[in-house]
Amino acid sequence: MSGRADAATVPKTDTESEVVLSCRDLSVEFRMDRGTSRVLNGLDIDIERNEIIGVVGESGSGKSMFASALLDAVVEPGVTSGEITYRPSEGESVDVLDLSDDRLRQLRWEEISMVFQGALSSFNPTLKLRGHFVETLEAHDYDVEAGLERTRELLSDLYLDPDRVLDSYPHELSGGMKQRALIALSLVLEPEVLVMDEPTAALDLLMQRSIVSLLSDLRDKYDLTMVFITHDLPLVTKLADRIGVLYAFELAEVGSTEEILSDPKHPYTRALLNSTPDIDSPLEEMRPIEGAAPDPVNVPSGCPYHERCPMATEDCATIKPDMEAASATHDVACHHWERVDDEIDLTTEVDR
Amino acid sequence: MSERTESLHAIDDGEAFEAVSDTTMSREERYRRLFDRLILAPGRIVWDDLRARIGASIILLYVLVGLFGPRLYKAPRVNQGPRSVTPLSEGLAYPLGTDNLGRDILAQLIHATPSMLQMITAGGLFVTIMGVTVGTTAGYAGGRTDRVLSLITDIVMTIPGLPLIVILAALLAPQNPIVTGLILTVNVWAGLAREIRSQVLSISRHSYVEASKAMGLSTPTIIVKDILPNIMPYVLITFVNAARQVIFASIGLYFLGVLPYDSVVNWGVMIDQAVSGGAMHVVSMAHWLIAPLATITLLSFGLILFSQGTDRMFNPRVRARHSTTTGSDDEPTDDDAAATTGGVVR
Amino acid sequence: MQRYYLERTLQAVVTVASVMSLAFFLLRLMPGNPADAYRAELIQNNPQMTQAEIDYRVERKLNVLPDAPLHEQYLNYVTGLLSGDLGESINEGVPVSEIIAEALPWTIFTMSIALLISFAIGISLGAVMAYKEGSYFDSGASVVSILFNSIPNYIIGILLIWFLGYQFELFPTGGRYSTEMEPTVGLLEPIQTLAFLGDALWHAALLILSYAIVASGGWALRMRGNSIQVLGEDYLRVARLRGLSERRIATRYVGRNAVLPLYTALLIAIGFALGGSVILEQVFTYPGVGYYMIEGLEARDYPLMMGVFLVMTIAVVLGVYIADLTYGLIDPRAQTRGGEH
Repeated sequence: MSGRADAATVPKTDTESEVVLSCRDLSVEFRMDRGTSRVLNGLDIDIERNEIIGVVGESGSGKSMFASALLDAVVEPGVTSGEITYRPSEGESVDVLDLSDDRLRQLRWEEISMVFQGALSSFNPTLKLRGHFVETLEAHDYDVEAGLERTRELLSDLYLDPDRVLDSYPHELSGGMKQRALIALSLVLEPEVLVMDEPTAALDLLMQRSIVSLLSDLRDKYDLTMVFITHDLPLVTKLADRIGVLYAFELAEVGSTEEILSDPKHPYTRALLNSTPDIDSPLEEMRPIEGAAPDPVNVPSGCPYHERCPMATEDCATIKPDMEAASATHDVACHHWERVDDEIDLTTEVDR
Repeated sequence: MSERTESLHAIDDGEAFEAVSDTTMSREERYRRLFDRLILAPGRIVWDDLRARIGASIILLYVLVGLFGPRLYKAPRVNQGPRSVTPLSEGLAYPLGTDNLGRDILAQLIHATPSMLQMITAGGLFVTIMGVTVGTTAGYAGGRTDRVLSLITDIVMTIPGLPLIVILAALLAPQNPIVTGLILTVNVWAGLAREIRSQVLSISRHSYVEASKAMGLSTPTIIVKDILPNIMPYVLITFVNAARQVIFASIGLYFLGVLPYDSVVNWGVMIDQAVSGGAMHVVSMAHWLIAPLATITLLSFGLILFSQGTDRMFNPRVRARHSTTTGSDDEPTDDDAAATTGGVVR
Repeated sequence: MQRYYLERTLQAVVTVASVMSLAFFLLRLMPGNPADAYRAELIQNNPQMTQAEIDYRVERKLNVLPDAPLHEQYLNYVTGLLSGDLGESINEGVPVSEIIAEALPWTIFTMSIALLISFAIGISLGAVMAYKEGSYFDSGASVVSILFNSIPNYIIGILLIWFLGYQFELFPTGGRYSTEMEPTVGLLEPIQTLAFLGDALWHAALLILSYAIVASGGWALRMRGNSIQVLGEDYLRVARLRGLSERRIATRYVGRNAVLPLYTALLIAIGFALGGSVILEQVFTYPGVGYYMIEGLEARDYPLMMGVFLVMTIAVVLGVYIADLTYGLIDPRAQTRGGEH
């Protein structure tokens, strides 16, 4: 369930799902000589336990910053502000951004873990895979024997041969194998949340789809919550329960996958879906989105999309739209979302 | 609906293909751009970096002294002044004092510079020409030629330079600074040849070279236009290294008397004469030894500083790390964040 | 992998053969070459000697038969070299191989220590500099490294001898060990051995120091560059997020990966160190092979000079060869790629 938390209530869905990660006014800033670059602008979003939520956005929309922020791992000199409340299944809730160094070190990888884009360079080239797992277990004072057992099981679940993989050096594995091994590495300490930033971008299509289908099984078996961040919308539709759309460092729309795909309420989402290339659709139906994404130092006032939006009015240029509920499971930040059905056609159909 | 029909027409009429590149350049503009890329841009890089700037200034100082010094300042002669005078004790007549034969030390330093510069230039040019020629040929021609040339290059690289130079110096007894310069850098070209060969190999694979080939451009044209501009940084660095070797080796060999110096004025010769003249045992003679020592150190310092400063030409990560002062290209974007700024995380 | 070993071995052999040919060329075929010169000298000074005797002398000294057809001369020369005959020193009258055999261990002694010390100090310094990149420490250390790296090591040697040798008399100014000392290296006489080694080190100290002061700067700068590059790698970031200790990251992640490429540089440094001994050993009057090269030169003793040159080159070729083959042991990536690095 998403929405601005009013002072009084935290809204609940009818399905009574719990929130495991709750972000309020999440922002990331970089101070540059030519101005302050705000690469994430006041994000509010709730992530439900055991869901797979896809966060979709163009390159440069702030999605990688969002991923890093969830572990309070934004690169220096970036400054993260706001609140990220993490509610573990056992124990007290904490604000991720407000933890001591030690506590943060424990939280990362033990409770919230991350898989980066480019597994090719996430391993130490001079260390065997086994070494990576062992040192991670040791660094967190876990039982190495038990940990390795768990690792073997994880690797098998990911369709890797544990013995072979553990005894290899990173360069001896293929791209797909490395990516899966990286996923196993991120799960070795049994975290509750797994954040994945473009985990399949560097792989071929077949491998991409295979890994994506694996993830759903992993979620079920290991009781995980997954945040899947990507620019590739069609890839995540089969996997995600909900989808959030990022545009220009802000959240444009969040909702269940069916609703987003069949009836998106934000003009950007519509344009995004329309521009999705599909082998079957004829050339005439392809519509790139006109214009360019805004510069993070110079984000236009009002709605960040107004300069490219065909429905934009004067209000859009000056007043920033709040998140409004289009349905119980669908929120959108647009002044004119009610008219979107009439004004913008949904020309392509992206299947679930 | 009209939007749709418009775009349909665009595709049918082939309008989409008529879009020409937005910029067309006249010939003059193209040359200006080439000049900018080959000379001004590196110049700007040199000027931007403090180390390169200081290094270049020092080098320039020596070049100027070498070119104009002998004309502006008197030549050293035996007994031109009282013997073993300490610096400045006779006013400005002998600013750095005199040696045990009454020769003005500053005069010696200045008059030794031109031949040193000649040696450096000769050596540098030799290394550059040999290295570029061999490296480009090997990399571009490939096959047998490449194997033979690479073998020769490797052998030359393995032979210890200084002993070979000593033997050549003994056999040839060079007096001419140009010949000396060539001998002193007899093995340096091999390193450059190797680097250039690998550069040529990797550049040749780029599509723009293949395109040139497909268009039927002649080999020399391809080499000059596509390949040479990319190897300039290596040439520069090697030139500086060659210069350094010339200085170090010549000083050392003159000091040891390996290189004959009846008529040659050279800083190394000065050091040898100072040491055998007892400058180390008599404190008042110390200036005789220190003067050439300082001169050599300053020049080498300038050379290394310069080469360190121009290192940035091929190390963009160092630049990106200090991201608050770079232009918009280097700012951490969403996707570049981890890579460019070094992933420094709390 | 076999192919790689074969290639490298072949290359080493060809290199040695080429150097021998080069030596022959310099000795015999260049205008004004030493063989002709020596022969002429003998003829001039010994008018009563027969041609055969003169030829015999030339051959014994230089390993060159003056009158035989060229290819015979070449063959004779090379076979001589391969059997260890480096000719005879014109001045000393003893086989060159004897002189070299006596001097070589000392050069190896000093140069190995110098290489190792400068490498160790330079690497550590460079790593710290990279960690504190941009700080005053980094800038200061960089300037100092550049400064020392831009002074010829023999100049530092002169300065050290000047101050520590002559002025303050802290160190001896020449020789390999004190004249009263008896060289003892044996496990059965530990005390004498230690005393001897200590004395030898004391004599070699300034020489080693001269080399190390200059070379450390170079290693530090190189290590700094490599480390900075590694610090920008993704796996560093992931390692931190995984919660690994800074210490582990510094050694196993940054250190290991930054040092590996320096291995080749270390090989090349062996060549330069050996070559540089030519000047350095003269400054310190330290009778290693470098010293004898110059002694030979001053006395126009070509067999000695050539002998030293050949031995040095072969030593470098050997060193590079061994290191090339062992590179695969330390860099896992090299094993599968057949050792390309």
